[in-house]
Amino acid sequence: MEEPEPALIRAAAAGDIAAFERLVRAFQEPVWRFLRRLLGDAGAAEDVAQEAFLRVFRRLPSFSFEAKFSTWVFQIARNAGVDELRSRRRRLRLASLTPPPRPRAAVAEAVAEIDAALASLPVDLREAILLVEVLGLRYREVARVLGVPEGTVKSRVFSARSRLHRWSTADEERASGEV
Amino acid sequence: MRCDDARAAISLRLDGELPGDLDVRELEGHTDACAECTGFERHAERVRAALRFEAVGAVPDLAPAVVARQQPPGTSGRRVAADGRAPRATAPRPRRPLVVAAALAAIAGMAAGAAFVGLGSEPRSPAAADLPDRVLAAQTGIDSVDAGFRLVESGLAGGGGERRLDGRLVYAAPESLALTLRAPGSRDDDDLRLVVDGEHWWQSTVRACAPLPDRAACTDGARRWVRSVRGREPFSESSPVPLELINPVDGFNPASTPTGLGIRTIAGRRAVGVVVTAAQLAAFLDGLSVGSHLRAVHPSDPVELWLDDEHLVPLEVTVRAADGVDRARWASGLGFTDRPGATVLDFTVTSVAINEPVAARAFAAPAREAPDEAVDAGFRPGKGPAGPVPSDLPEGFRPYRSGTIRGTGGPTIAVDSWTDGRAWLAVRSTRDWPGGRLFGGLGPSVRTIDLGEAGIGYVSDGGRRIALHGDGRDAVVSGSVTADELRAAAAGLGITGLPVPRSWAESATATVAEATDAVAGLLVARDLDGFGPPAIRVADGTVTQVYAGAGDLGFTLVQSGVDHLAPPADGDAVGVEVRGAAGRYSAERGQLEWVEGGAAVGLSSHTLTLPDLLALAAELEPA
Repeated sequence: MEEPEPALIRAAAAGDIAAFERLVRAFQEPVWRFLRRLLGDAGAAEDVAQEAFLRVFRRLPSFSFEAKFSTWVFQIARNAGVDELRSRRRRLRLASLTPPPRPRAAVAEAVAEIDAALASLPVDLREAILLVEVLGLRYREVARVLGVPEGTVKSRVFSARSRLHRWSTADEERASGEV
Repeated sequence: MRCDDARAAISLRLDGELPGDLDVRELEGHTDACAECTGFERHAERVRAALRFEAVGAVPDLAPAVVARQQPPGTSGRRVAADGRAPRATAPRPRRPLVVAAALAAIAGMAAGAAFVGLGSEPRSPAAADLPDRVLAAQTGIDSVDAGFRLVESGLAGGGGERRLDGRLVYAAPESLALTLRAPGSRDDDDLRLVVDGEHWWQSTVRACAPLPDRAACTDGARRWVRSVRGREPFSESSPVPLELINPVDGFNPASTPTGLGIRTIAGRRAVGVVVTAAQLAAFLDGLSVGSHLRAVHPSDPVELWLDDEHLVPLEVTVRAADGVDRARWASGLGFTDRPGATVLDFTVTSVAINEPVAARAFAAPAREAPDEAVDAGFRPGKGPAGPVPSDLPEGFRPYRSGTIRGTGGPTIAVDSWTDGRAWLAVRSTRDWPGGRLFGGLGPSVRTIDLGEAGIGYVSDGGRRIALHGDGRDAVVSGSVTADELRAAAAGLGITGLPVPRSWAESATATVAEATDAVAGLLVARDLDGFGPPAIRVADGTVTQVYAGAGDLGFTLVQSGVDHLAPPADGDAVGVEVRGAAGRYSAERGQLEWVEGGAAVGLSSHTLTLPDLLALAAELEPA
């Protein structure tokens, strides 16, 4: 991901709407894709992405140029996404302890699988694997976005992959056990 | 090395985070011998493919809304709504209906569509096996139908989720029809009355009279809206003659083998049941929806269709919601509360009389003298044939309506028609077609047909129309007859069909041989039950094959010599295994893509589900 020119960021921070619009256009695609997978819902991703960019705009004057701008944006987007998940949980007043049922075997590799499998992951594992796979971030950058040590990222990404794998094989076992 | 350590290392290697001091040979030594760890790695790669095979196409443009929602520092223009909240600058993006549901059909545990595409392995009842031919044949045996029916829509957002309508359908061959619908117990007139009688048709509907802030409720006298259309050409497909309601020919043409449900009795008549999809029965459902604003159904929805065993008139039609994430999303986008497997639309005949005399007043014009809207469709009857007459008409066909359409500024079109009762044949021709595309509105998928001494013709619509481009004369033949009869009629017009000029849209139409030259390892779908031969197009090293089946059913196979997939144009693409290769599937576009034998292959359909497409892909063969 190409980093925007510092001048563009400064202009946006000073209230230049055209500059801000260019920043939104530069980051809307990865932000929306990340949120769509995190939330499992394209429509919610659109709303939350809008909210995230509003936060970006409000906080622009405080951007320090010490971190990469992309990391900073992803951090805000991730926080907005996690906020949405929390408020959803409050709304539903239930925390699902078991993974949601998977669609039946013939559709196993299809559309719903990846989102259903992702939904079965705890949020801390889900966001870690999505930052790596959807945004292609290095562990170092993921650590900054999440505010955790790099070693934690490494173990979360591995845990996520292990659980996604178990999810798929467990279902094959269930399917083959059925007559 | 233990499996846990090996997998942790595999995970790091995938992300390019493997520490320099790790012994790669030790890792590879383990994975070479450990199928489980290899499986872990393959799965992780598939997850990556699914999550990264996404692109910009479907990503919403957030910038305008975001820019409008924030309040620029230092500006005075407050964009805040009266309730103090920042307004949304744009309406919520309309969710595009997802026409392909990746789901298993809820009923009978069978993949709707796959069975009738001819890929299913379910045993078929003998009664169902010969149904398509019987439906086509039965139309000649129907002179009249008078049926009362009940229509129930479910899954609606308001009003208890249901709407019931009582209806009556009266038909007299060849093209008179009256359809009425009214709410049960309604003291008003019918909610809908549609009458088609040859050259004239009327539609009378209830106006939306709810008072709105800037509109007063309409007075009782103005509650109805009558539309009157004159100059309807014979068997016009552009005006509502829901003949499919009587005999769902399009639902089966040219030849498909639906899955049987058995035999039962409906309204005192013996009925034979089959399972089809809403896509397959689109013409019937459209006919039922004319003017009555029935709820939408999804093309992948399974439909239980019960036909009169003797006359093949539909006696009961039950549409159920297909299963699947995309079907659910489609429904919620339209405000429906459908549950998978639940009935969304039910049409049941409560009384029926077939081939009994029908009173002429059944097709009388509405009582109102002056219609609210009067339209002239332009057809003027004349005496005798207006254009070329086929030398080879199906047996028993006699001249029916003839005349001309003189458009202002457009070409003058001669129209002739023949009928034997219910089945019909029509020829439209013109001497002043401006060109650019074929005369006759054949649509984008066209294939050539050899008409022997009559040159070449162009076929479309699942074989229901044949167009000829002759020297100084263009013609199109259509009808509810068999493909052979249609071809014979086209070949007997006395017009020698020429290839269309290179500048016309259809000029790229190619043969299989030309397509094989363009793309090595060309794949084709052979002998697919219910589908005719494909329309083939070759352009810029890409071969496009369009296969049309019954109703709206169809799919497109695109192959190019490029050995990799282009970045997906859709945010919905997921990884999926196709014919033993890694591929991807986009639900929004209904497209399956993979690379095989050095060629990128795309298989897409708006009416087949992912399981159908995968089954179809498995059946493809080299040309």
